[in-house]
Amino acid sequence: MGRKILFITTDQMRYDAIGANGGAVARTPNIDSFAANGISYDRAQPQNVVCMPSRATMVTGQNIGTHGVWMNGVPLPVESPSVAAVLRDAGYRTALIGKSHFEPLLDPFLRFEENRQGFAGTTEGHRGFDHMELATHGAAGFTHYSRWIRQNHPEAIGMFFQVLDGDLEVSDVPGGDTGAPQIKHNAVPRDWYHTDWVADRTISWLDGLNSNDDWFCWMSFPDPHHPWDPPESELHRVNWRELDLPVGYPQNQDEREAIIDAKPRHWRLWYDGKLVSNYEAPGKWVPATLTADQIREVNAMAHIENELIDEAIGRVLAAIDAKGWSDDLDIVFTTDHGEFQGDFGFLFKGPYHVDSLMRIPLIWRPAPSAGGGIDATARVSKPVGLLDLAPTFCTIAGLQPPEWMEGRALPLDDADAVARGFERVTTEWDSRQPDGTEIHLRTIMRDNFVCTTYQPGTVHDGTEGELYDLVLDPLQQVNLWDDPERRALRDELLVDLAANFVEPREFRHAEAPV
Amino acid sequence: MATIRSHARVHRNADDVWKVVGDPTRIVQWFPGVTAVTVEDNIRTLTLAAGLPVFEEIVTLDNRMRRFQYRITGPLPVKYHLGTMDVIEDGEPGCLLLYSTEISPDPMAFVLDGVISEGIQNLARMLNDHTEDER
Repeated sequence: MGRKILFITTDQMRYDAIGANGGAVARTPNIDSFAANGISYDRAQPQNVVCMPSRATMVTGQNIGTHGVWMNGVPLPVESPSVAAVLRDAGYRTALIGKSHFEPLLDPFLRFEENRQGFAGTTEGHRGFDHMELATHGAAGFTHYSRWIRQNHPEAIGMFFQVLDGDLEVSDVPGGDTGAPQIKHNAVPRDWYHTDWVADRTISWLDGLNSNDDWFCWMSFPDPHHPWDPPESELHRVNWRELDLPVGYPQNQDEREAIIDAKPRHWRLWYDGKLVSNYEAPGKWVPATLTADQIREVNAMAHIENELIDEAIGRVLAAIDAKGWSDDLDIVFTTDHGEFQGDFGFLFKGPYHVDSLMRIPLIWRPAPSAGGGIDATARVSKPVGLLDLAPTFCTIAGLQPPEWMEGRALPLDDADAVARGFERVTTEWDSRQPDGTEIHLRTIMRDNFVCTTYQPGTVHDGTEGELYDLVLDPLQQVNLWDDPERRALRDELLVDLAANFVEPREFRHAEAPV
Repeated sequence: MATIRSHARVHRNADDVWKVVGDPTRIVQWFPGVTAVTVEDNIRTLTLAAGLPVFEEIVTLDNRMRRFQYRITGPLPVKYHLGTMDVIEDGEPGCLLLYSTEISPDPMAFVLDGVISEGIQNLARMLNDHTEDER
């Protein structure tokens, strides 16, 4: 009997969302306990800051340029390799419960297997998962969760925020107390909400296993990704009126806009509502209109959603403990990318490679039975990426990571990271909109610097960039790209980026906007 | 307004290809996710795999030009749509299948681009393999 693996992901969660990483609002004792008894990675980055590319990297252990999911809407080919298949072939029972998003969600022709299974209510899974029960951010679409809501609680369908408007654009309909976009007071009872549903279905799947089974379960919560519409019964948890504004939000408008103006021009164009660079934020929403109270309310909603996730995790852990598996259980907790949540005066995400979107929580709580060689209270400061997860799962299972995986098993501590050459992590962005707008970013993080170069597109000519000193400027408010004194450092980082970046071999068709 | 276009080359004469393209009921043979079709006068109604109907108006059925044009009228969230299929003689025997779409709102272009591209490849394969009469 080997080690069990519980892989927990959230969607669009910031590094500082949890108590273990300094978060002071949401109570996350279960996640914090993973850090207290495990390894926290303080510089973990996704390889792309939107869902589909990032999740494709998690399941394949590959760079974006290799698996080819270069923007949302581009499906991961069914024949792509999968860590779940590796584990299943080694005898593991495998499941993915919650949000997968390896394939487009907006699929009226039901061309994609995950939507077909969700629509039909079948759970046979694919991509090496022998069980899938899928959910996304509400009751719409072809997921198992939306089917469950339709069949059991049809009155709840209209309670959720409607993510897309009549133009199929991400909706900017205001709500809540402050009129912030994508907020809704949701009358859905808590136990009908997708966070609890994901935990319920995970417990149900675990209950069906034999006590001596080895298993890999990816429990994937759709929150705290917008819309911010947690059950209104839970709104008492955090009073938005009492929240401090994020440290990443310069409250003085002139100061805020000066910071934005020192960044490549698409920052200011989006801020003023003059550019829609990507589909992942409401196209009609103008960030310059965002108020301090709206930022407070959005943050409160995210904190509430994170508390619900933590409590759902607690229920699953109790179920695992009741099965007698806790000593053999490895837990890996992370998310797919971050969220502005008010930083610089923005919400949502896009081609903006700053810590708001790129720095994510990542914790590995090794199985207590794994014993020697693991410092179970380490904090790793060296850079790691989500492409390192799949090889880590193989290593936990006692398997050699396949050659097609491009990451490496996560380091156990900084000494291990140094010994094994964890020096850098790269993140990329490519997008092409139907109106022809193209943006391309290539980013390297190493030696406490983040350096982003912009390839030619419709907004940039290829000379622009960003360079931040994370020690002196942790909020990334001072762009050093054009600083002559940093020119040598910038050039060195760009050479290193070029040497370590996997360029996409082709830009396959996007099959849906998301 | 977004425009998208897909094409495929077919190693059949244009008249043979037009027999399929110019028959609005035969879309069910090659377009992904379409499970049923009815045509009454100039109204074509598709049923998608998820049970969703799609209502279309046939705008042009030009046997001389070998051009078929249609508009989606509902219930997909379309403000403007014009789909055009042209069969263009090109070599002996051979023709070009061209499927052009103008559509608003823009996000619908993403949804249709992939499915049309897959459909046009299905259609070319079916015609090249002479399997169009195997219902």
